[in-house]
Amino acid sequence: MPRFRKTRKRGLAFRLSLLILISTTLIFLAAFGYNHYHSRKLVLKNVQEVAMNRARSVVLQIETRLRSVEGLPRMVSQYLEKNLVKEDLLLSLVHDMVASSPEIFGASAAFEPYAFDPARRFYAPYYYHAKDKGVAFVQLGSRSYNYFLWDWYMIPRELDRPVWSEPYFDEGGGGILMTTYSHPFYEISGGRKTFRGVVTADISLDALVAEIGNISLYKTGYAFLLSRSGAFLAHPDKERIMRESIFSMAAESELPELQTIGREMVQGQSGFAAVNSVDTGNRSLLAYAPVPAVGWSVGVMIPEHELFADIRSLNRMVLVIGTAGFVLLLLVVVAVARSITQPLLSLVRTTAEIAKGNLEVELPVVHSDDEVQVLTRSVDEMRLALKEYIANITETSRARERIESELKIARAIQMNFLPKHFPPFHEQPAFDLFAALESAREVGGDLYDFFMFDDRHLFFSVGDVSDKGVPAALFMAVTKTLMKGIVEQGMTPSDVLERVNFELCQNNEAAMFVTVACGILDISTGKLIYSNAGHNPPILLRSKGGPEMLPMPPGRVLGVLEDDTFINRTIQLGPGDRLLFYTDGVTEAMDNELNLFSEDRLLMEIAAMTRTEPRQMVEQLMAAVHSHAAGADQSDDITLLALHYKGTPTLVENTK
Amino acid sequence: MECTSHKENKAVVIKVTGRLDAVTAPEFDNACSTWIDQGETCLVIDLTGVEYISSAGLRCFLVLHKRLKAVSGTLDLSGLQGMVKEVFNISGFATLFPVHPTLEKAVEATE
Repeated sequence: MPRFRKTRKRGLAFRLSLLILISTTLIFLAAFGYNHYHSRKLVLKNVQEVAMNRARSVVLQIETRLRSVEGLPRMVSQYLEKNLVKEDLLLSLVHDMVASSPEIFGASAAFEPYAFDPARRFYAPYYYHAKDKGVAFVQLGSRSYNYFLWDWYMIPRELDRPVWSEPYFDEGGGGILMTTYSHPFYEISGGRKTFRGVVTADISLDALVAEIGNISLYKTGYAFLLSRSGAFLAHPDKERIMRESIFSMAAESELPELQTIGREMVQGQSGFAAVNSVDTGNRSLLAYAPVPAVGWSVGVMIPEHELFADIRSLNRMVLVIGTAGFVLLLLVVVAVARSITQPLLSLVRTTAEIAKGNLEVELPVVHSDDEVQVLTRSVDEMRLALKEYIANITETSRARERIESELKIARAIQMNFLPKHFPPFHEQPAFDLFAALESAREVGGDLYDFFMFDDRHLFFSVGDVSDKGVPAALFMAVTKTLMKGIVEQGMTPSDVLERVNFELCQNNEAAMFVTVACGILDISTGKLIYSNAGHNPPILLRSKGGPEMLPMPPGRVLGVLEDDTFINRTIQLGPGDRLLFYTDGVTEAMDNELNLFSEDRLLMEIAAMTRTEPRQMVEQLMAAVHSHAAGADQSDDITLLALHYKGTPTLVENTK
Repeated sequence: MECTSHKENKAVVIKVTGRLDAVTAPEFDNACSTWIDQGETCLVIDLTGVEYISSAGLRCFLVLHKRLKAVSGTLDLSGLQGMVKEVFNISGFATLFPVHPTLEKAVEATE
């Protein structure tokens, strides 16, 4: 894994360079390989042509030389067949053949036994170029030299056609490699041909052998000549001439392929073959072609490594140029990649600076009209937009903070506005009271209040302003203040509601309204007078028995019609009786599925309570409402007020 | 909440369905105000399809009451039921407007 990461982390410049160089190298190697393969093929084809041409030219050379020699013996033969010649003429004919042609080493006209002269068994006058003595004469044929048995005489006689003999070393002529052309002649009488003898011409092969032996191709390539039997007639190594044959060499060097080639050459075929050189062991190319006139074969041998020497030096050059080009490309690519990544890197440094929060940073100047410039410009736009955005957010959050802090203060004021010291009246054993208010927002529209306006009378109220938030809070403050200011001795709850309603209806342009339930308790007697302005009915829990809804008199909410009237009801409370006032924030508290807490649930919760002191009742109900909401947003203000009437000692006595 | 309205003779009938609370009250308020702004003074609001009404919803009716009173207009209600009926009764709003059991009766009453 760390290695993988390392490669991934390499920069753009590195990856770009690597990619380009790998591709270039691959392309170069492919081109190089293709070139090498094809130039080898081309060279091989050329060399084959050159070698074959050379072999053919040698063949032509030999043929020309041999053909030029064949003419004279043929002419003499034909003359002898047509004319009966005397010895003088015959001798001069043979002499002239030698004298007139430097090509011809020696010539003879050899007759059948007693054919020329009935007295002479052997008759074969022979003229030849003697060393420094001009043309010399000798009569061939004797007991020791019975020419009738020699190849040059016997083979044309048997084959009935002119024949070149196998080359041989002339014993008399000083070890010269010779070959003899023998042309037969006949006596024709009565349609019958009778063999009379042969006219021969000997030629020296030394010059030819020397010429062929001197042929050189490339550095060590050479040519050689094989006889009909496969013996070397010409070879750069003179020791091999007439002493070794291609077959003896093949056997000696254990090269069966050479044997096969030798056979093909002797059979007069032409072609190419790859063979190992007997001398050097190097792989060589051999081109061979026959000399049809004599049944010889010319071979041209070229070592392969010499053929491809040029290609090798060319390849070396190409590799040197390629490597130099590679290095140059490397430098160029690295330079180009740097020129691309350098501005990017400086841009990265700048953006890092921006990310740290420095929005005043100057962006690097890019002169090139390319993507980097575009990127730089967009980064700058982003920086400016960010700056503006942050400025806006700062402004907005400052405003929000101000409002929030104001709301916090407003909430504190509103909360302080409600009585919240419990138990409220230490010196009053006749009753206990507890109330709680939870706003849905910072400030709310619910209200509760209670106070003793003389020694015997407790006034209390619970209310709920339509809507929530600041407007509701202000309306709530007005309502509560009005109520407290209006209540005085001798008033009933309905009087209070009517007067508060009247005041609220004045200039109520906002069309706000408030529900209020209020009551006045005579703590000495337990008589409770209560009235209602559109509020929910409270719950009455008698000291004995279950909770029940206390029916409320009808009454419209406050703030609608200024001349609305309200009705009082009276109920006698006994010691131990409890009353619970609340706002609809309790019964209409919703969970996430919009299920209401409901009045039934409220009654059930109260019925299930074991402790019914006002504080416990309120706190337990508040907890029940919260657990019902289960985290759902509180949609309305929640207010609970519980009153426990204990009664005065006298009253308790009386009741007993 | 959904609010559809049409003219029927001289009355404008506005049918409300769904919840009428602090979130939807402005929409309802708009729907009614548009007609009053056009000079209509006789509104019939059918609450048959309303399942819940909050104090903010009630406030809309007080606003309507005040606006129509200024132009001597009338507002008739129909289709109050369940929780809505209870809220209208407790708050005393049920006695602020003529309430009819059905829309047809309410429209008839305006003629």
